[in-house]
Amino acid sequence: MNSSLADQLDEAISALLAGGKTAPHWVREIHQLLPIADDLWYLPRPEFRASLRDQLLQRAGNHVFGALAQAAQRKAATRPESVVPPLFITESGAFPVRGSHLALSFALHVAALALVVASGWWMVENHAVVRNTMAQLIATDNYSLPPAPTTASGGGGGGDNDKMPASRGSAPRFATPQLTPLTAIIRNESPILPAEPTVVGPPEAVLPEFPRAGDPMADVSGPPSNGTGTGGGIGSGRGGGVGSGEGPGVGAGRGGRTGGGVYRLGGGIPAPRAIYAPDPEFSEEARKAKYQGSVILSAIIGSDGRPRDLRVVRSSGMGLDEKATEAVARWRFEPAHMGNQPVAVQVNIEVVFRLY
Amino acid sequence: MKAIEPDADERQLIEAARRDPSRFAELYEANFDRVYAFIARRVPTREEADDLTADVFRQALSSLPSFEWQGMPFAGWLLGIATHLIARRWQRAAKQTALPVEALESVGVPEQTERRAIFSQLVERLPEDQRYVVRRRFIDHRSIREIAQELGRSVGAIKQLQFRALETLRMQVRSRHE
Repeated sequence: MNSSLADQLDEAISALLAGGKTAPHWVREIHQLLPIADDLWYLPRPEFRASLRDQLLQRAGNHVFGALAQAAQRKAATRPESVVPPLFITESGAFPVRGSHLALSFALHVAALALVVASGWWMVENHAVVRNTMAQLIATDNYSLPPAPTTASGGGGGGDNDKMPASRGSAPRFATPQLTPLTAIIRNESPILPAEPTVVGPPEAVLPEFPRAGDPMADVSGPPSNGTGTGGGIGSGRGGGVGSGEGPGVGAGRGGRTGGGVYRLGGGIPAPRAIYAPDPEFSEEARKAKYQGSVILSAIIGSDGRPRDLRVVRSSGMGLDEKATEAVARWRFEPAHMGNQPVAVQVNIEVVFRLY
Repeated sequence: MKAIEPDADERQLIEAARRDPSRFAELYEANFDRVYAFIARRVPTREEADDLTADVFRQALSSLPSFEWQGMPFAGWLLGIATHLIARRWQRAAKQTALPVEALESVGVPEQTERRAIFSQLVERLPEDQRYVVRRRFIDHRSIREIAQELGRSVGAIKQLQFRALETLRMQVRSRHE
């Protein structure tokens, strides 16, 4: 190594570092090395390079947590392919399977399958029971038909507590409403407000006529008597009518009109309308036997809308009669009316128990 | 140092750094010397070169999610940031109203910058005593005498080490370009 070259190079480098220019007397080798020295002048400090790297990594670390969370989400999204445990593979990378866990999983799956099968079997076996605790109720009297002109019936009775039985005579004309009851013996000769005595019934009804007022069905013709009944009118009944019945009508019945017994549908009397009709229940006996049938009940729907005097007209057995009676007894009706007066009527109700 | 042509590896590095910012370190190591060499020639002091280099990489890290791959080398994008920061610094200092032409030509990686950037790696490959002399002489601006005292050797020996180091670097640079 030529020491003079090293000296010249150091001299040139010193001039370069001092900002001077290269001297023309330097040999060619020095001129070739000076550009290298010039480039080395701009080398970065190693410690700066390292410290800046640390700073950037620290700054990047603030983003890493977010990036790690995103990476975890991506990993979870692709997990089914890599983490689903193979049951009987034990090589590296396979998800470990514990025997106890496998047995427990198998047992749970068997139990779940058994539950599904059992519930399906139960549903098949109890299909009818589950779906047929309902019953259909049908009134045999058609509520929507117009009233029939000839089948109405009713009656009335009265009297003024006379010791003599009512005397035979003509009943007053039918009218609605009744203003004053008929009397065979006039107790008040000078009423404040005179009114024609009437009984409640259809005006077109025709009754036997006699020379004087009285009960057409009375056994005795005299002496004149209003009878042993109460409430005005003539007869042994009560209620302002004529006869042995009850109410403002004529005859042995009750509730007005004539013919005996309670009102029946027709003759201007529409059917009562059910406003509360809970369904009956199937009897346990009929349910087990998968029995279906119908029960016809006879009932009087009072002027208050409550059914009474329920009796079975056609039985079905298997405990269904009782269930039908219990249900209909809870029904409530808008009562039938004759004119503006609510009246009791007799109706038949069919309760049908069906298996669907 | 890797080639400056955009390749699949660099693209993968960028995508990895966008997903995981901690991977930005790999991009930093691959491009630090280029950026520093580019900046150091355009600012008067080493301290300014350090500051601007740090600003370039900080801005690159924060802007990486919006980086769109358009076929240009990543170093070109970094040097674009460096050009912008250098120009802004000049304008702020009001030392120069017009931007130098070289500073505006930053879309690619200048060949001169690329050549200078290589020296960092070449110096690392020098023998330890030569590497020490080069660092103390050119980076720390120590005199030959100071270095000789630090190493306990003669001034002549340090000059010889300096001469051999530069000769070795020249040979290596020439072999890379042949």
